[in-house]
Amino acid sequence: MARKIIFDTDPGVDDTMALTFALRSPELEVVGVTSVFGNAAGAVTAQNALRLVELEGNGHIPVARGADNGIVIPAIELASEVHGKDGMGNTNPPAPKGKLLDIPAAQFIVETVLANPGEITLVPVGPLSNIGLALRLEPKIAELVDEVILMGGAAYTPGNITPLAEANIYHDPHAAQMVFSAGWQVTMVGLDATHQVVMDNAHFDKIFAADNPAVNLLREITPCYRSFFDGVYGLGGAVYTHDPSAVAYAIDPELFEVKKAPIVMETEGKCMGKTIPDEENRWVNYRPTNICVGGKTDRIIDLIVERLTK
Amino acid sequence: MKRIWIDTDTASDDAVAILMALRWPDEEIVVEGISTVSGNVSVEECSRNALYTVELCGKQVPVYEGAGKPLIREPVFGYFFHGPDGMGGMNYPDAKQKIEENHAVNAFIECIQSNPNDITLVTLGPLTNIALALGIAPDLAEKIPMCYVMGGAAATLGNITPTAEFNIYVDPEAAKMVFHSGMPLTMVGWELCRGDANLDEEDIKSVMDIGTEYAKFSIDCNRQAVQTNREWLGEPMLPLPDPITMAIALDPSICTRKGMYYVTVDVQGEATRGMTIVDERGVLEKDANVTVCWEIDIPRWKEALYKTLR
Repeated sequence: MARKIIFDTDPGVDDTMALTFALRSPELEVVGVTSVFGNAAGAVTAQNALRLVELEGNGHIPVARGADNGIVIPAIELASEVHGKDGMGNTNPPAPKGKLLDIPAAQFIVETVLANPGEITLVPVGPLSNIGLALRLEPKIAELVDEVILMGGAAYTPGNITPLAEANIYHDPHAAQMVFSAGWQVTMVGLDATHQVVMDNAHFDKIFAADNPAVNLLREITPCYRSFFDGVYGLGGAVYTHDPSAVAYAIDPELFEVKKAPIVMETEGKCMGKTIPDEENRWVNYRPTNICVGGKTDRIIDLIVERLTK
Repeated sequence: MKRIWIDTDTASDDAVAILMALRWPDEEIVVEGISTVSGNVSVEECSRNALYTVELCGKQVPVYEGAGKPLIREPVFGYFFHGPDGMGGMNYPDAKQKIEENHAVNAFIECIQSNPNDITLVTLGPLTNIALALGIAPDLAEKIPMCYVMGGAAATLGNITPTAEFNIYVDPEAAKMVFHSGMPLTMVGWELCRGDANLDEEDIKSVMDIGTEYAKFSIDCNRQAVQTNREWLGEPMLPLPDPITMAIALDPSICTRKGMYYVTVDVQGEATRGMTIVDERGVLEKDANVTVCWEIDIPRWKEALYKTLR
């Protein structure tokens, strides 16, 4: 039976790759998409999410718009130099045909989880605002969600948006605190793993050798993203594979190596957004998070390439 | 005619404020909904007390139960001030009316979305529900013409701590978010609710002499407050912050001096947690976001209360 997921996203170039990868994987059934601010403004990412479900005939999948800001802090430093102001590499794509749901993302998450107890996996690949809001709206979902597999955080490795923090967590550290301490099973697919999952020029060539709506869109929107990584990390066209790695975990957790520890959040000040593993339970006793620290990185990339090009 | 929504952690003085709104003689006041929040007492007890108050006044108002705890802080309660049931230990019987099925946050969002720019919000407790609603429905802030907040201490004289008033202290992150949300806000701080603004012995006697069940109720449920106020704060008689806020919401001319400033809330400090920082001189050169009440007409405030008890 396919794993039912709600995909929470701020498309976003790697979100685009992740969602198309998920939609093309029979192991997963995307029962809903919820959008959040992050890589671009909330209004922009909502339209991009609609666009992405329509791309290859999945327009029946409901899309609900979520938070425009962090639960406590307003949206800051939106990454227009990474993903473009339109979240689509500055390609200004046409408006989607479909419509967003009438209800907000947090309500959609609560209703879907209550209607499918024990069956829904949340896969958030942007700031965790919608997940935190859903938790506060209906605390019971902590017992009814199968797993939360999130792209975010940096436990044992430096941050990207600041020396300590990864961008998704940094944009809403308070939501992250809610999510990591809620008692459900969380798997953190953060920079510890994603900086080892390197999609290089050869991989991109293979992807773009194919011809389908997903790879054709990626071909258009990735130049901005690839040149950002080259500028910052000197990767020469390669990228660290963030959001798609979370989807890969949802498909096959065995691809990843994991350390378990509860995650404590720093929510204020200079170190805001740091995900702190409390291995010895010195500070907290709540359920440990599965922290991805590596894995079969070649096989992860091969899986992504295979699904995108089929 | 004025339409209002009351968000409340219903304990003794909240109950009197709700009563004032339900029995205001000068203008038709339609209370569209009452939402309860964890604060003075647990949210379940707040709901119970709100339902009793509504029934006592012989009115039909839906009561919705909201957040059971602050956004990320551990709950802090005020039983020591309001009594073991929040109502001075009066142990009133359960009302026949029950709380509505809908979560307070959803109900509030729906009410405002259906009635944009028509409903005044009056908050008498921690701002948890409001922060959640504004986060879930990002366009809500511009649809609320004014929010009267019982909370804060613009002159920095706190009650629960030297620097903070209780409502803001209990959920400082929610307060910070709400203060910066763009929703028009009038802050009625704790400093307005001390000294001569309190009901002294003569005032309490006048109230009892009114002889109605409403007059008796308003004094009885506050009997713990009178005692604790004297023992803990060394202050005279009966402070009534929520009724003062409601009086100003119902008749804004009761506030005789006010100003609009940049106001923020400290969420980082230990000694200054929940401090409401009012930039009176404008030294930070940031946009003003809150109207701060500096003075009230004390005889007119007390008459506003008395006329609802007759």
